[in-house]
Amino acid sequence: MLKFILRRLLYMIPIFFGITLVTFVLFNVAGGDPAAQAAGRYATPDQITVMRAEMGLNKPLLNQYFDLVTQLFTFDFGRSWSSKQQISHLITAGIGPSLTVTFPGFVISLLITIPLSLLVAHKRGTFFDKATLVICLALTAISSVVYVLAGQYFFAFRWGMFPISGWDPSWDGRWQYAALPIIIMVSLSLGSYILFFRTVFLDEMYQDYVRTARSKGLGNAKILLKHVLRNALVPIITLVVLQVPFLITGSLLTESFFGIPGLGGLIYQAIQEADFPVIKAMTIISAVLYMVFQLISDILYALVDPKIRLG
Amino acid sequence: MSTVATQNFVPVAELKAAKGRSLWQDAFRRLRHEKVAMISLAIIIAYLVMAALCAAGLLFTNYNVTDHGAAYLPPGAGHWMGTDIFGRDVMARAAHGTITSLIVGFFGAALAVVIGTVMGAISGYFGGVIDELIVWFYTTVDTIPYILLVVAFSFVVGPGLSTLCLAIGLTSWIGHCRIVRSEFMKHRDREYVHGATALGAGHARRIFVHILPNVFHLVLINFSLGFVTAVKSEVILSYLGLGVAAGTPSWGMMISDAKLELAREVWWGLAAATFFMFFLVLAFTLFNDALRDALDPKLKSR
Amino acid sequence: MLTRFLVIFSASLFLSYCTRGSKVSENSIQFPMKMNLSSLDPAQASNEATNEVGPNINETLLQYNYLKRPLTVEPLLAATMPTVSKDGLVHTFKIKPGVRFHDDAAFKDGKGRELVAADFIYAWKRLADPKSKSEGWWIFDGKIKGFNEWRDKLTKGEATYETAIEGLQTPDDHTIVITLSKPYYQLYYVLTMIYSSPVPKEAVDKYGAEFLNHPVGTGPFVFVNWIRGNKVVLKRNPTYHGSLYPSAGEPGDQEAGLLADAGKPLPFVDELIFHEVPEDQPRWLNMMRGNFDISEIPKDSFDGAVGPDKELKADMKAKGFELKKYKVQEVVYMGINMDDPVLGKNRNLRTALCYAYDQKTPIERFYNGRAIVAHSMIGPDMDGYDESFKLPCKEYSLEKAKEYLKKAGFPDGKGLEPIEYSFPTSATGRQFGEYVQEQFGKIGVKTVLTGNSWPQFQDRLRNKKAQMFGIAWGADYPDAENMMQLLYGPNVSPGPNSANFKNKEFDKLYEEASKMPPGEARTVAYKKMRDIFAAELPWIPTVHRLGFQLSHGWVENLKPNKTLPNPFKYMKVNLEKKKALKAKL
Repeated sequence: MLKFILRRLLYMIPIFFGITLVTFVLFNVAGGDPAAQAAGRYATPDQITVMRAEMGLNKPLLNQYFDLVTQLFTFDFGRSWSSKQQISHLITAGIGPSLTVTFPGFVISLLITIPLSLLVAHKRGTFFDKATLVICLALTAISSVVYVLAGQYFFAFRWGMFPISGWDPSWDGRWQYAALPIIIMVSLSLGSYILFFRTVFLDEMYQDYVRTARSKGLGNAKILLKHVLRNALVPIITLVVLQVPFLITGSLLTESFFGIPGLGGLIYQAIQEADFPVIKAMTIISAVLYMVFQLISDILYALVDPKIRLG
Repeated sequence: MSTVATQNFVPVAELKAAKGRSLWQDAFRRLRHEKVAMISLAIIIAYLVMAALCAAGLLFTNYNVTDHGAAYLPPGAGHWMGTDIFGRDVMARAAHGTITSLIVGFFGAALAVVIGTVMGAISGYFGGVIDELIVWFYTTVDTIPYILLVVAFSFVVGPGLSTLCLAIGLTSWIGHCRIVRSEFMKHRDREYVHGATALGAGHARRIFVHILPNVFHLVLINFSLGFVTAVKSEVILSYLGLGVAAGTPSWGMMISDAKLELAREVWWGLAAATFFMFFLVLAFTLFNDALRDALDPKLKSR
Repeated sequence: MLTRFLVIFSASLFLSYCTRGSKVSENSIQFPMKMNLSSLDPAQASNEATNEVGPNINETLLQYNYLKRPLTVEPLLAATMPTVSKDGLVHTFKIKPGVRFHDDAAFKDGKGRELVAADFIYAWKRLADPKSKSEGWWIFDGKIKGFNEWRDKLTKGEATYETAIEGLQTPDDHTIVITLSKPYYQLYYVLTMIYSSPVPKEAVDKYGAEFLNHPVGTGPFVFVNWIRGNKVVLKRNPTYHGSLYPSAGEPGDQEAGLLADAGKPLPFVDELIFHEVPEDQPRWLNMMRGNFDISEIPKDSFDGAVGPDKELKADMKAKGFELKKYKVQEVVYMGINMDDPVLGKNRNLRTALCYAYDQKTPIERFYNGRAIVAHSMIGPDMDGYDESFKLPCKEYSLEKAKEYLKKAGFPDGKGLEPIEYSFPTSATGRQFGEYVQEQFGKIGVKTVLTGNSWPQFQDRLRNKKAQMFGIAWGADYPDAENMMQLLYGPNVSPGPNSANFKNKEFDKLYEEASKMPPGEARTVAYKKMRDIFAAELPWIPTVHRLGFQLSHGWVENLKPNKTLPNPFKYMKVNLEKKKALKAKL
């Protein structure tokens, strides 16, 4: 086991190299000279020169690559073009608000969808199954814009149940603002989660061990709860762990509509304003986060099912 | 948050054609008896026909006809789904949006499947260093969040329809690649492959002529899954302003317009785009479900 | 563990929701900003939001009178209006004594020290220093004796901030003598712009690169904090030097209640809160709930709030909403890259496109009637603006468009490559593009639309990559010179002349006019420039927008104007009225 973990840890080195390489190629090599864009429309040529030097763009590519790696290790990504803020500050300030919405939202979603999908899988082929399938597909076909707009309009404005938008950094004050975004996040994930878990459970139900259990005379419900759920835990844990990076980066639309100062809103704004350094930093950080959580998920996977040794 | 990977759950299938009947004939026979699958297929074909007719200028020719006096008409007799800001027929625009979606869906998914199959086949067949390299590459790309990768890509290349297809294709081949790779690893030591080697077949011949047909059902299934993902991606990217060029009818643009127009209670543009997208996605998903059942012999005993 | 978390979570959710009370003072102005805030360093005030927040913290030598229209300049940090030498080149400013900077850790004992003349010179030198990356250098560029030379030396490392500049002298702590290298009649206007605010060197030195988050000024409000993506909070400056509400206005101001507070010390409110709300829906809904005090009306909410007579609907009035309309000194236009081998060299083609563009629909659809047709580059209420002047091709006519297209050598658009039209991406920007495409399509001219994010769009302009582009220019000050410089030859890209228009006669007139004092002769020169513009058509001017400001009845002393930078200190909240009206929302 220890050997496996060690090997898996070592494997992170080439992956890390790959991540930095891909980001570097995308942003530094193919992305062109961004100094002029960073300096602003009416910047004078000497200001652009200053900018280029400050961004390290006049160095050879190899040095620029090392700069990128250094940035990651020192957690210093320079400044945003649009807000002029230190990107590392923007990121550390954004994690809390994002998680305030996504973490409870995710947990509630799981608590609702896992039992429901187990039921749906149990009733595979019946009208109930097909109706749920269609409803879930409908839920995923409706654009998330609609959930956000409608949620804000009806729950907050018409019925006055929640504040329309805003944020309070104190722990006591933030829940009133986070509540509606959490509800919206849960309704957004219902459809896709049920579809996903249904497939996971169905895949398990057609495994040999289920047939064996059934031939032993075990009841359907018992098989479902005892065997299927337990075995499906493996893909569920994988999903849960691999979702954590996305929880950290938050939700793009919800945050910008509700004025939540999280990472999702930061990314959304950066995309709108072509804020290269922020997009670059978020890309690289998300990738590293994903890599780390993939490692955790692999280790958990190996712990749960010792037969599996991932290479 | 809709980032749950719904691509990777195709179970690894042991494939051996049933005696006397080929796998494909068998699957086709089973599929034909599935009512839902046939209806879904009919819907998909209907979309294709509609898109073709629209593109050929035979159907909904009024999609670009403006009538500034008749802006924002609610659904009614003249315009079944109302009109938009320039008095254009919303239904015609939604119908023409199908072309964009089908193009993005087809080319995005096709590109992903081709890359995934080739990389997976090479990786699984040869193993060793080549395998290590390819696995390293896709693990790397896989760690970078899809949406940011697409955003970065379209910033570099510039937005547009071909960028959209490229970006979607280049970022969504990994799940398929993994599956193909593991299938090839199983097949490369089978007797029939050794037999082919004995008869003097080269690597390329063994990969493409001998093994590939045995895993081709996975290509089909993943293409169908990728299609749905690509259609949905178009909508999200258009919303972010990274979609097709302005003026081209697209569901994503219609939904993006609705963000503002809902304030004046103009809901029909959004409804039409959602409606058109819903049935395409629904048909594809149901068909895909049936296709999987039909092509996956393990489920046969049911 | 999960369940326990959930219980705690849901409990805290409801508890806090019940105790939800506002910690914010009722005597405050809550203002929604469309753009996200950028740097609060006055030298970097190129962003719209910074220009809304900044002037409340940092003040300038001069300001505009709040009530007088057209805008007139009056002293703010200056004790009186400056004295001017006979040749108009030497301007002597006396600074108001006893003005103190905000208390800040950068000062000794944390107490704000007195403002002196050197603080201005220091701040202006920062504008010139390429290292501070200011987009505000243009306000002094080439205007002050020895300043450009100092800048060159500084860049080469041959001068420092201590090196004196001939044209910027401080004989004593309360006197600034500005010596111009040539007449500069916009000097007083640019001295109202936040770029020219004095900043204390202590704070810049202490905070370094983070100075942009620690603004220290002399203004009526002090910076408290900024939660990025959410809001900026300012509170009343307890040591404010006390500028006063104007005691005289224009005819009608008395009746409008704008003189009720005449002569009283400013500001009136305790807190100013600027919310960052880029999306229309939350901005509008919060306004409707009374959470914001003043707002624009989003185009898609307009018909719900305002009737066809352009007055508030009865239910809005009943809730105590008020609507103020005002002219905006700006021009919206489609610029044409005059360096383009096709469009730039073919006047008939440009005229054809101008004729083909029907202005009526966009005014209704995009502006809800809140705009007038633009016939030149000069905005309304500006020197040289002439309501009777009509640009012939603004008269929509497909026949004439086709005629000119034929003259241009492209009958029915045959042989003409598709025209590229660049615009900044947003749902509305895209719809505009589609409209242009449709209009040009009617005479057989094909258009390719290129949507870009705002910085990428600007990059296209700088690099002369766009063939045609949709853009607007809001005046920095109430002088048409600010529009004319957009067409002045030496200003071509990367300068502000994005159309890359070069016309010797125009440039000569521009240079002559810049040496003329405001008056008839200059107006004549402006009109001549306008005529050259009309003949050459480097732009197709589209509209001048009108401002529609919505406010709640409890906000008093409102007289909106887009060019006036610091309206918030004049605003007053009628607390009794607020209580009564809020109950109705």
